[in-house]
Parts: sequence; C-alpha cells; structure tokens
Amino acid sequence: MSGILEAYALGDLSAAERTAVEKDLVQYPELRAELAKIEEAQEQLLMKAAIRPRASVKADLLSKIEGNKSEARIVVMPSPVWKYAAAASIAIAFVASYLAYEYYGRWKASEENLTALIAQNRQIAQDYNTVNQRLDKMQGDMHVIGSPDFKRVMMNGTANAPDSKAYVYWNDKTREVYLHIENMKTLAHENQYQLWAMIDGKPVDAGVFDMNSNGLQRMKDMAGAGAFAVTIEPRGGRSTPTLSQLQMLGEVVKG
Amino acid sequence: MIQTDLSLKSREQFVMASVIFELFEFISSRIPHIEESSLIAGLRSKDKASLEYLYDHYSGALYGAILRIVRKESVAEEVLQDVFLKIWSRMDNYDPSKGRLFTWMLNLAKNQAIDKIRSKEISRENKTGGIENYVSDVRTGEFAEQRVDSIGLKETLASLPEEQRFIVDHLYLKGYTQAELAEEFNIPLGTVKTRLRIAMKQLRLILKV
Repeated sequence: MSGILEAYALGDLSAAERTAVEKDLVQYPELRAELAKIEEAQEQLLMKAAIRPRASVKADLLSKIEGNKSEARIVVMPSPVWKYAAAASIAIAFVASYLAYEYYGRWKASEENLTALIAQNRQIAQDYNTVNQRLDKMQGDMHVIGSPDFKRVMMNGTANAPDSKAYVYWNDKTREVYLHIENMKTLAHENQYQLWAMIDGKPVDAGVFDMNSNGLQRMKDMAGAGAFAVTIEPRGGRSTPTLSQLQMLGEVVKG
Repeated sequence: MIQTDLSLKSREQFVMASVIFELFEFISSRIPHIEESSLIAGLRSKDKASLEYLYDHYSGALYGAILRIVRKESVAEEVLQDVFLKIWSRMDNYDPSKGRLFTWMLNLAKNQAIDKIRSKEISRENKTGGIENYVSDVRTGEFAEQRVDSIGLKETLASLPEEQRFIVDHLYLKGYTQAELAEEFNIPLGTVKTRLRIAMKQLRLILKV
C-alpha cells in the first residue's frame, strides 16, 4: 500500500481519490480494519496532544445550542443523565450479584436438605416394608397355630438334650409341616438340626434348620407321620438319622 | 464429610466472589466510555447529554489541533465552537462506514481552522514553532486524564526516528498537507508519502494499535 489510508485519515486526499478509497472500503473489509487501526493511532496521538480550552467555551457552545430563547448563561451544568444511569447500573448490578449469591446459597442448602429428606424417606419406606412382612408372617403363623386342621406335636428333649423343646404343626390333609422352636442349644457352624418324620416306623427327612429362625418355620410336606424327631447332623443333613445324636422326640396324638 | 462440605462451600464462595469482581470490572471499564454507535445515535437525536460527553471527551484533542494551526487562542476558541456547532447540526452527514467519528471531527476542525487562517490571512510562517512549545503548555498535561495510558506525547514522539518525528509533527500536529510539506521543505512528494506510511507503522507499534 502506498500510504493512501494514512492520507485518507488525515483528510489529505483529493475528492476523486477519496471517492475511490471509500468505494474500496465498502468492498474490502480488511482495508476497513486497517483504516480503523490507523485512525485509532491518529486519535491516540491527537489525544496526547490535547490542549484544554477555557471552560467558557463549553458554556458558550451549550447556550448557543439551547437557542436564542434566553441570554441567560448556564453557569452550572446539570450532570448528564448517563452518569446517573451508570451509577444506577452499578448499584443494580451489585444488588443483583448479592441476591444471586444469597439465593445460590439458599438453593444449595435446600438441595442438601432435600437429598437428606429423600434418603430418610427411603429408609422409612424400607422399615415399613420390613414391619409389614413380619406382620404378614405373624398373621400366617397365627393362622397355623389357631387352625383345627393342624395337629400340634410336642417334642421333648431326650437324655442328650433334656432342656430342649419344640413343636411341630402338621396338617395331614394338606401335608404342610411347620416347626416352632421353644428351646434348643446353639450348634457349631458345621452342624445343623434335622427333622425326621416317622412314617410306618421309618425315618423320613423333613428338612434341616438352624436355631436362628423366628416364629414358625415351614418344613418338608409329610403324610401319615406317626412321630417327629430331631437329630444333630453335619450341615446340609443326611439321608438317615444319626441316632446317637437324637435330641428330641414327639409322637403324633391320634384323633 | 463435614470437612469436604466446608471446602466445597468456600470454593463456591470464592467463585461467586470472583464472578462479582469480574462483573464489577466489566461495568467499571464500560462506564467512562460510551459506545461510539450509541453516542452517534444520541447526537443524531439531538441529545444534549451526548454532545456534552462528546465535548468533554474530544474538545481537548480538537482544540489542540486547531490551536496548532491558528496559533491564537481567541481564534482557536472561535473555531472550536464553530466545529462543535457544525457537528451538532450536520451529524447526519457523518457516515460511520467511511471512518471513525473522531476522524470526521478532526477533519472538520482542520478544514475550519485552515479556512480561518486563510480568511484572516494568517500566514504559514506563524506555524513554524516546535512541538515543544505545545508540549510544555501547562494545560496539555491536564488532558492526561482523558486517556488512561501514561505515555505522553513527548515520549511517544521521542521514540520515533528524527525523519518520522518530523513527518508526524507536521502532518498530524501542525496540520500540514503532504503537498505543502514537500514544497516547503523540499522533499519529494513520494518520499513524504513513504515516510508517512513508515511513521504510522512505527507509531502503531508504540501505541500498540
């Protein structure tokens, strides 16, 4: 480039040259950007070379612009509106920022509370379910104990375990068998109790059980049992009872 | 658990504080400067506050340019007033696509000043004083407040090589045209143009434009 943009910014071009530059400015944005920088430098330079005119010049100018209505000179100029607008903007920005911060904090706290409440609610629901299940179980147990269809077989401890006591509830028609432990010894982990039904004088496996069960415990279905017995067997039970470990025995009362 | 909550909270506070700070910085950086486009809109709608802003912001630069051409304060004041009246009444003539507002005003001021000295037959010889005369003017310094950067005119010009300083001084500050400069100082016009371009490049470097 030949310095024509610099001359253009200085107002140092002929009318024809000016028109040509103006046409190019519209067409080439990069030329426009270059001019803007030249103008910026020129403006900065002139700003540095500024000389303050006397204050009366401004007052004269403003009164001339006001028109010839009044000869009165404006002595004190009212502050421009934008100053107030700017001050108001800052104030509003501050207030808004503060409120944003304040409410952000509150929102955070509410969110934490809500999370805690949701967790608490979940826990309560779980507890409720547990209680409900227990209640259902107890109702079922009550039904078994109270039903005339179930025979109650009391099993007393043998010489191996004189203090042990348990009941078997047995429905001959539906073949259901329930066990209710009254008192029994706790076993080592590798062992389990095994219930046997004596059918036609032969022991039949009626299932294994541990001491820790609550309420009635459903065992294997049986028909035609004449007596029930409990032995201690290795965990998982065996197909035939270890008679030396016989713990309890009870006969089914006929009728 | 409580420990992490606390650190999280203080981090949020820190973030919020910096956001507020940034916002404040942003606002305060905007306050003293009205966007040129809204200033122009204000002037076109004959808003007096906009004219006052324009005057407060640019009268010094324009007055300096005028005074360096007409050399007499009373004449310069008259010209300055005429220029602002022209800006006020002819705002519609200003076309932003053709250049910055200041460029337009500066050229109005220069033309008005040159017209004035021609009509009053003030000769060119009157304008040959060195820049130092103006730089040492007591009121020049007061205008530092119109710009935040601290490098003054003297320092800016001092960082230019002699040849370029001469060009800048005469074309930008004393209101010479390139042709006048070439004729009066016996420099080929092409050389003046080249030096102007190089000088402006250098100036932009100094002013970080």
